[in-house]
Amino acid sequence: MDNGFWIALLFVSVGTLCMRLLPLLWMQRHLLKQKSKGGLAAIPDWLTVLGPLMIAAMLGVSLVPATPSLFTWLATILGAFSALMAWLWTKSLGWPVLAGVSTYGVVIVLARITIGG
Amino acid sequence: MSWRTGAREATPLLGGYIPVAISFGMVAVQAGFSVWQTILISTLIYAGASQFLFVAMVAAGAPWGLVVVMTLLINARHVVYGPSLAPWLPKSRWWPFLSHGLTDQIFALALSRLPQLPTEQRLGWYSGAMLLAWFSWVAGTAAGAIAGEELSRHWPLLGEVMPFALPALFLVLLAPRFTSRSWSIALSCTIGMAMVLTLYGFTNASIPLAAASGALFFYLTKVHARAGGRLDG
Repeated sequence: MDNGFWIALLFVSVGTLCMRLLPLLWMQRHLLKQKSKGGLAAIPDWLTVLGPLMIAAMLGVSLVPATPSLFTWLATILGAFSALMAWLWTKSLGWPVLAGVSTYGVVIVLARITIGG
Repeated sequence: MSWRTGAREATPLLGGYIPVAISFGMVAVQAGFSVWQTILISTLIYAGASQFLFVAMVAAGAPWGLVVVMTLLINARHVVYGPSLAPWLPKSRWWPFLSHGLTDQIFALALSRLPQLPTEQRLGWYSGAMLLAWFSWVAGTAAGAIAGEELSRHWPLLGEVMPFALPALFLVLLAPRFTSRSWSIALSCTIGMAMVLTLYGFTNASIPLAAASGALFFYLTKVHARAGGRLDG
């Protein structure tokens, strides 16, 4: 691999870091300025809306199975349902994830056995 | 110790990170990158989708300039993460390093958890969560680059099942946000739109596009509710 790889890696790494760092520093400074002027330090309204919607979009992307089939969709629906039920019951982070993954896994294994048999 | 809490609460992420990192390690080595180059890509870029694109474009012989532009374009969604978290993240000289770990998943977790934590614990919590996720990504890449084929031969199901940890986690993070009609409509539309775009192969564009359309629905329902209120009143 030629020097191009190292230069491209450097540009992409620094560029990605800047996209994560600079807007954060800018907003922190903006909030401090608002506070020092005696105003209410708050981020713009559209950002408070966009944040949860970005998570919703990530959920939508990750819900689509890598290899869509009747069984993977069924596993996804049941896995999501059991994660939701576990959340309603425990209101925690870890147990619902465990419940979701376990249900998803059981359906996939059963599907393999059914197809195999 | 707040960093321990952060690391513990980020543990569910590993189910999604490690299998994807292993497959990235495998793909990169098969595309002609050395083990060390593969590990360096994961350590320095640390952004899943763009890393796969980076490797695929290089393997296809794309010009380096185009590789850089396309990879950065995919990562452009990260610009809204920092400002969204800014009210809950204290100032620190460590941010140039810590912000490197502000991935999609850490953002989702931090946006839900940071507002619930006392101010003095937030930086520690974020550091613990971010470091665990980063190390798992790099370790998973190394495992995939060195012994990926053997791992997928021994545990073929694990790689298929464990990534479901990510949608399960996102679901749990989102569930408490279905608090009003506007939010329920906006969130449901965003999830649906992201699924449709992904199914049609627009995976990389689906996050910003679906979120933008969800925001549009959110404001439309607000406007509609206000107009309805005026008409009724």
